[in-house]
Amino acid sequence: MTIRFLRNKVVEVEPQSDGSLAVSWRLTDDLLKAEVNLKVQPPDLEIVDAEVILGRLVPAAWSSAPELIKKAEGIRIGGGLRKIVKGLFGGKTGCALLAHAVLECSNAVILNFTRPGVQMLEGLADKEKVSLTQQMLKTNPRLIRSCVAFQDDSPIMQGLDL
Amino acid sequence: MITLNRSQVIGAEFPDEDTIRFNGIQDDHIYSMEIRMDVRISNGEILAVDGIMKRYTNYVCPQAVPVLQTAVGMSLREEGWDRRIMKEIGRKGCEHFAEIIIECGHCLDQARMSGALWKAVQTDPDLDQEQFVQNWIDEHPEYQLA
Repeated sequence: MTIRFLRNKVVEVEPQSDGSLAVSWRLTDDLLKAEVNLKVQPPDLEIVDAEVILGRLVPAAWSSAPELIKKAEGIRIGGGLRKIVKGLFGGKTGCALLAHAVLECSNAVILNFTRPGVQMLEGLADKEKVSLTQQMLKTNPRLIRSCVAFQDDSPIMQGLDL
Repeated sequence: MITLNRSQVIGAEFPDEDTIRFNGIQDDHIYSMEIRMDVRISNGEILAVDGIMKRYTNYVCPQAVPVLQTAVGMSLREEGWDRRIMKEIGRKGCEHFAEIIIECGHCLDQARMSGALWKAVQTDPDLDQEQFVQNWIDEHPEYQLA
């Protein structure tokens, strides 16, 4: 059976020579194309620049998206982000697409910093991997119960008193 | 160079008038997952879901696959459905599975509208597509702009 709808999305993080991160989020589907570009400045991970281009068949309700995205400037990627983004881009006068884009860009920035740690575990014995993962949980307690691997009954959590 | 790339691809087919079948994949430098999910169009109910974990970070991760069955019966139209998916599938299973399901949910109405536009263009190749989209949105209050 042929598919009747196809959506492709990609988000990329590219460190820049000035120390900032260029984050590019793009979406294309049968009806819509969208591109959001953020500049994120470490160490606070502040969004210092935000732009959007929408094309193809854009709902009229999103006509103000290029102005609206500017509200993302000044946001810091960290705790409470979801609530902040919902406040800025949610509701009838907001733009859900921008909310999704900013959150997915932010998630990509976090994954960008996660990747080296995950790669470091490669090649280690399972026992060493578990030990290092347990150390990570001690320094990042917000991960506890964040997924099946970090539930109380997971073998990774055994022996931890967190 | 690019130090992190995440790609999502969501496809939708319509096996019958009231069912949409999603196939979603998510691939990044760390994780790779796939979801196949049937949804009842009229009420957004998840009828069936299955997932494959292809790349993950630890040996416990695949235990998230059976957790997916918790999603059966949930509706992609109920208030806060995305938060519920993240709570029940993400936190108790795998957030990357949850992310794919949520993206499929975001595509539900877009796919319906795309299907309707396709049919309309077959009978009227000169159709004003922008106007069609706006009319379709206006006539479908359940439409979730995403």
